[in-house]
Amino acid sequence: MSLLSRKSKSDDSQALKEAYFTASQGQLIRARFRQNKAAMVAAWALTLMILMGFFAPFLSPYSPDIAGRDKEYENGAPQMPKFWDENGFSARPFLYTMERERSIKTNFRWVTTENREKRRYVELFVRDWEYSYIDLDWDLPGDFFDVDVKALTTDLHLFGISEGGIHLFGTDASGKDIYSRTLHAINTSLAVGTLGVLISFVLALIIGGVAGYFGGWIDSVLQMITDAIRTVPPIPLFMALAAFMPDSWSSETRFFFIASILGLIGWPTLARRIRTHLLTERSQEYVLAAELCGASSSHVIRRHLLPSFTSYIIVDLMITFPYVVRSETALSFIGLGLTDPVNSLGSLMQSVSKADVILNYQWYFIPVLFFIAFVLAFVFVGDGLRDAADPYSKSKK
Amino acid sequence: MARFIQFTLMRAVMSLFTLLTVSLIVFSLMELVPGNCAERYLAFKNTQGSQITIDDIKAEERRLGLDQPFLKRWTDWVGNVFFKGEFGDSCILRLDINQLLSDKFWISLGICLAALVVAYLIAIPVGIYSATTKSAVANNSLRFVSYLGLALPNFLLALIIMLISTVLFGDSLTGLFSAEYRDAPWSVDKFLDFLSRAWLPIFILGWSATAFALQTVRALMLDEVGKLYVTAASARGISGSKLLWRYPARHAMGPVINSLGFDLNRIFNELPVVALILTLTEAGALLIESLARSNDQQLAGAIIFLLTASIVLVNFVTDILLALMDPRVRKGLIGA
Repeated sequence: MSLLSRKSKSDDSQALKEAYFTASQGQLIRARFRQNKAAMVAAWALTLMILMGFFAPFLSPYSPDIAGRDKEYENGAPQMPKFWDENGFSARPFLYTMERERSIKTNFRWVTTENREKRRYVELFVRDWEYSYIDLDWDLPGDFFDVDVKALTTDLHLFGISEGGIHLFGTDASGKDIYSRTLHAINTSLAVGTLGVLISFVLALIIGGVAGYFGGWIDSVLQMITDAIRTVPPIPLFMALAAFMPDSWSSETRFFFIASILGLIGWPTLARRIRTHLLTERSQEYVLAAELCGASSSHVIRRHLLPSFTSYIIVDLMITFPYVVRSETALSFIGLGLTDPVNSLGSLMQSVSKADVILNYQWYFIPVLFFIAFVLAFVFVGDGLRDAADPYSKSKK
Repeated sequence: MARFIQFTLMRAVMSLFTLLTVSLIVFSLMELVPGNCAERYLAFKNTQGSQITIDDIKAEERRLGLDQPFLKRWTDWVGNVFFKGEFGDSCILRLDINQLLSDKFWISLGICLAALVVAYLIAIPVGIYSATTKSAVANNSLRFVSYLGLALPNFLLALIIMLISTVLFGDSLTGLFSAEYRDAPWSVDKFLDFLSRAWLPIFILGWSATAFALQTVRALMLDEVGKLYVTAASARGISGSKLLWRYPARHAMGPVINSLGFDLNRIFNELPVVALILTLTEAGALLIESLARSNDQQLAGAIIFLLTASIVLVNFVTDILLALMDPRVRKGLIGA
């Protein structure tokens, strides 16, 4: 598939040249994308994180909510399983047993000691708390919309430990496993992002499409309104909207509300891009040529306009995605977005700003690293796709 | 000259239209909040121990003019804002919003504008350098830093800097004034004290704006550097930085100036979050206070409107500036 790199050698066989000239747009984009090393690495990282988010319940040994808390290990440091120590090697990774004691010897304070003699072994494919892959339990406003569906229920988890707890990323103040929470948070952030991007995409397609297709005064009026909305700084506006949420709403309702707000405010930039694409593509000569050949307008739209268009749209959506996630994170960080029982990257970061955490419990920052990696990967992939989708961008090599 | 005045007037009318649309959006949002000002205030009074009835709420609504239709109230609000510059009273605090905001708003605006200036002071030279340099190391590291500017949230940067300064200097660098100047009237000393503390919010607010600006400048310069007029200029024997600054840079600056308003928008975005972390006491903090804690719709609306109005103003000024700077536009308008 490395069409372009072989092409540059130019003395290769005729067949390869032909493969290049007859390649479909999708093949060309894929070939160009593969040449961009940074984007490829980011794409793999992104795929990995999306999979981690999707299989979060399977990968996490504990439930991310209060049910999965470890009372014996609050604000506990990350535990890394070991393969060997001074007592010898073990093929199965293990942790030491932590013993908590409070007596006159310890001045009546809880003191935790590590018992190196007692090993606890990591086990694979353990059965623990139950979860469902399809678990829709929406308590939306109005009884009519309530949904409660459960399917694919299982209690299988990738790993666990023989006794006690294993906390790869440590635990938070109430003993919840930060590793499990991080995985679930990636899932939530992906869901918020997808929903927000979808809503703004539909709005942008309608508004930008109408403006670009009709042109004229409709275009001017719509552009003026779009520009007016674009001038309002979004985060303060998000905050104003998010402040409407009554405290009584359930976390699912809040989740939908936040995602819709993000979508409802995010459309102007996308709409503008769609309009510009439409305006320029509509007056291109290949459209005129097709029309002169007697093609119907539906044929022109289907066979000519849409293919010239979809790659840009996908790229635009990819580029918008991290901003939606970032906005959600900022909102949750202030305390106006998703709050504690929901695990989003923003709500995990809320506790990070406390001086106590900065100085004593640095493992709270692990979700932050995931957030940075997540956004960086999205930005790199989006940029790589943009370069790959642009037929006039020459690879600078 | 007449055409230039016409152009300016046209832009002014369009800015006014934008402001009106924004005020309608903001005002409708404030209306959508469950409960109105009267209920909120009386509910607050109720928690203080005084008994209130439905009649009290009705009376309060009448006093505040909340029984009027929506359009009437909007036109009143807009009229007061545009002609008298008054935003009315805050819902909960029962204080004149102008009085509440005055200093705080100007300080916020000053910090944000300073952040904008800092962002471009860094972005323009570095962007031009990265567009023309051939060194892959410099290019890749600059690219990485600017991507990091997008990925690393400003509040995190603020936290990291605070952590380092707490550990190293024992001062968390929060707040805008030292304790002894907090309530003092403005003086040279207070201003210097302010500057010694304001650099941190300015830097943090400018951080992601710098990353954006860097990418814009670099992309624009890359487009321009390859063009024929640059080759022609270098064929005439102009080279080095003189070539860059006289030819492609001047072309690239047009779109940059045009996007200043949106960069300011980006900086305003960060204002509340940064204010929360650095415990500043300016408009951003007041916005959080009014939204998150007290649901004070009047105050929140006023702040959002003021922020947007300053962006519209910047857009207007940059439009005029661009028309004066770009000879193609200028000749078309003034005919000089």
